[in-house]
Amino acid sequence: MKLQSLTADQTDTLQEIVNIAMGQAGDSLARVLDCFVNLSVPRIKLIEVAQISTHMAKLVKSDMPITAVRQSFYDDLSGEAITLFSTDGYHDLSELMGYQNDLDPNTEKEVLFDVSNILVGACLNGIAEQLNANLSFSAPSLIAENTTASALLTPESLPWDYALQVEVNFSLEKRNFMSHLIIMMAEDAVDSLKRSLDAFLEAV
Amino acid sequence: MATPILVVDDSVMSRKLVIKALPPEWDVEITQAGNGQEALDSYRSGKAHVMFLDLTMPVMDGYEVLETLKREGLNAFVIVISADVQPKAQERVKELGAIAFLKKPVKTEEVKQVLREYGILT
Repeated sequence: MKLQSLTADQTDTLQEIVNIAMGQAGDSLARVLDCFVNLSVPRIKLIEVAQISTHMAKLVKSDMPITAVRQSFYDDLSGEAITLFSTDGYHDLSELMGYQNDLDPNTEKEVLFDVSNILVGACLNGIAEQLNANLSFSAPSLIAENTTASALLTPESLPWDYALQVEVNFSLEKRNFMSHLIIMMAEDAVDSLKRSLDAFLEAV
Repeated sequence: MATPILVVDDSVMSRKLVIKALPPEWDVEITQAGNGQEALDSYRSGKAHVMFLDLTMPVMDGYEVLETLKREGLNAFVIVISADVQPKAQERVKELGAIAFLKKPVKTEEVKQVLREYGILT
């Protein structure tokens, strides 16, 4: 069964809701790093999971080595949140978080998990709050180190045929660090998302 | 006489939310713009005594609009309405001449307070 795409009004509403949520996420990150965070306009599209590598490859420059952290979310909305980090900007991050020397792999992982928790938590909670939805998260896990975006996810790694992909970018001023937050909304969750968006629209 | 106001945001939804939050007793003539370039065009044709300006937009963002207005001699009250709520973003827009920074989603009371503070609404 092919998933019904979002209407123009639903997309616009979701975009604005994500925009507000990512603003909160950027603010949380800025406070932790004491640094100005540049935010992008969120991008939303319905994708076929079979084409996942192509979609991921379009998000970042193909040759850029990335490291990725994944967190699942469930309850009223469900799906996967994936935070991509550029490997070369990672040193900036640990420095800004107050670490001075090269980190051992465990501490390195902790730093990435902390940032992922901040972004995913603030962004998804922000979305859920505006839509009056409940949400829970799994703990973050490292899914790839120093790989390319196209190799990150295979169609087998997501148990759906379709997903709603929401992408936001965070970068730091005068630093190399950049991060993409990709939220893949499960196809079963899209219908309830649409209902929530319609309710939000009606209230305007 | 109705006050010409300009609501600038790339999201139609967001513009609706801003317009809905305007004080009902305020007599206004509303123009809308979907990006910074459109905003400047409308401003130059006299449609923005008060401008409600978003920051993150395609084509030309809110910071660029403020910089241009500042360079050309600002002749409008600009109220920034943004989802980017970092303290530094707030500082920056004030430096660039905005009279206020309001967080999305914006509330009527906050708009009223700013308008009163600047004598735009009595």
